[in-house]
Amino acid sequence: MGDDGILSSAVVLSCDSAESSAKAALEQALAMAGQDGDIYIVSTGAGGKAISFSRQQKAVTTCLARGVHYLLPEARTVVDMGAESITVVRINDRGRVSDYGNQDKCAAGTGIFLQQMAKLLRLSMEEMATVSSKAKARAEITGTCAVFAESEVISHIHRDPPTPIEDIVAGIYSSMVHRIMAQLQRVGMKKEVAVTGGVAANSGLVSMLAEQVGHSLLIPPTPELAGAIGAALIAKENMMQGAS
Amino acid sequence: MTTTAKTPDRIDAILRACRLMLRMNKARPDARKSEVLYYEMLIDYCTQLATARQQGRFIAAHTVFFPSEILYAMDIVPMHTETTSWMTALFLGEYADLLAAGAEQGLSSEICSPHRGLAGALTIGALPRPDVVLWSNMVCDNTAKCGELLMRITASPGFFLDRPFQRSEAEVQYFVEELRDMIAFLELQSGLKMDWDKLSETVRHMDEQIELFRDINRLRQAVPSPFHPLGFLELVTVDYLFPGRPKATEYLRTLRDELAAAVAEHRGAVPEERYRLMTLFMPPMYLIGFLEKLSREYGAVSVTEPFFCNWGEGRLDRKKPLESIAQKSYMLPESHMFGPMSDKAISEIVDSARRYQVDGAIYYADVGCRHTCATIKLFRDALSDLDVPVLTVDCDVVDPTVTSEGEMREKLERFFELLEDRR
Repeated sequence: MGDDGILSSAVVLSCDSAESSAKAALEQALAMAGQDGDIYIVSTGAGGKAISFSRQQKAVTTCLARGVHYLLPEARTVVDMGAESITVVRINDRGRVSDYGNQDKCAAGTGIFLQQMAKLLRLSMEEMATVSSKAKARAEITGTCAVFAESEVISHIHRDPPTPIEDIVAGIYSSMVHRIMAQLQRVGMKKEVAVTGGVAANSGLVSMLAEQVGHSLLIPPTPELAGAIGAALIAKENMMQGAS
Repeated sequence: MTTTAKTPDRIDAILRACRLMLRMNKARPDARKSEVLYYEMLIDYCTQLATARQQGRFIAAHTVFFPSEILYAMDIVPMHTETTSWMTALFLGEYADLLAAGAEQGLSSEICSPHRGLAGALTIGALPRPDVVLWSNMVCDNTAKCGELLMRITASPGFFLDRPFQRSEAEVQYFVEELRDMIAFLELQSGLKMDWDKLSETVRHMDEQIELFRDINRLRQAVPSPFHPLGFLELVTVDYLFPGRPKATEYLRTLRDELAAAVAEHRGAVPEERYRLMTLFMPPMYLIGFLEKLSREYGAVSVTEPFFCNWGEGRLDRKKPLESIAQKSYMLPESHMFGPMSDKAISEIVDSARRYQVDGAIYYADVGCRHTCATIKLFRDALSDLDVPVLTVDCDVVDPTVTSEGEMREKLERFFELLEDRR
């Protein structure tokens, strides 16, 4: 993040330690921006506390609020659909968190869950989105437990006649939407609603969520970076205020 | 059923922990006199329970909100079932074997854990076997059923105290008759007689204690708060274990004076009070030490707990002890707001949030407590209208497998960050 906005960004798969993944992403981003290593770093998200070279750690809710406010100033509610959790954040007109809620006890409804389901159905994420648009019905799949949901999908595949795959995908999305709606209702939804996180790139899921919400949803150009942009904005503020 | 002739080890262990706490407090130059009194009371309570068998005294196990004033007036040794469970988790941090023994009794993990653990403790003889079991419907259906199980496990006779939910003259009178029946039952079982003068004196003390609780709550409205971050746990324990006991009056009077002095000097309980919190329901007992430390680190102080020691209107009359005990049961915060659940709970919470100038609320959603968890959305919405954020923590009051220290730290730190960011 520079004076004129975002200079560069990098996304890496966090298959190693959080520290080394963050280091790899940082090196890539610095190389793209042509910067040296003397920068102010704020870390956030899962493993954010483990980053020894960050100057400050911030909660993902705080960073999402800042990031979304910067990208979509009209948004008052953020639904972050990440790999490991669903977080709903209500934000005020200054980009500060008014309230939030998240579910992180079970993988049901998260990006990992969706990935598992795609693997089970032997579809890519893009194919899932395309297939779901052809659904005539939604297979009944529980939204409360990832393990049960997996068993139910297998049962749909193997029943005679098998449930059409597009209906299974629609059922998977529906179970996720059900879970997200529960969080939204718990925290309280205010217009406009923005969707962030890697799962926001799944158009099939997002259109089903919009249908349930009752109006269109805002999606920033790089939804998976919303939290990171928030962290960068906080880092920039801290630098300007001369914080160490 | 298993009973042991020796002193049951959990009470002994709690006793040792309380003695250690007392010694540590006495050694601290800045220790509150009230805190010393508090631990002395706990030691007296546990000593009485630990030695009751050897001394041939009569033990009555009773559930939460049961009017133990009656037991004290009859010289019966009380064993508060839920608080004994909490103390085991709080002081000893050892609970897995008790929950496992409870599971063997057929109690699933969705059932209130203090009751599960208690059933387990009595099954393996980790607590003294009571001579009678007393329970009531004053809190929840789980409590109402718990007594039956405890009777079966301990092969003890029992009495179920039926308290009507509504409060009319006829219903209060009905409850007074229930109390009379229970006294007759206790006299028959124990061979002890009710000392009506002692009961009258106990009620007089209880009336003074309720007034002192009100004074203390008023003082806690001060900014900065004069009472330590999780001080309410002391108050709850005193309320549950020592109603009408002279030493409890002394404790509350001493604490009231200490808090008044701190308020007059504008002295807060933590060096820098940053967040004034409302606590809804009970935090995990096995994390209390950690929560106290974290609260001090962040300057977060629980200033109000609408469901604890927050008495409804009314005074007790020593000349009418049973009527007063009946009336007191309707003045309990849980009763006057929950039984049946009414808008009063919501207006009380909103009013408390304003009066105590809270920055945020923490809702400890005990997974085994369905009647409290049913209110999460209601309370959250009510506080949200005041722009008071609510953190809901899924947890269990004694079962550490639901929420770890790390998870709790993560959630609380994130919440404190939110409060900071809103300034």
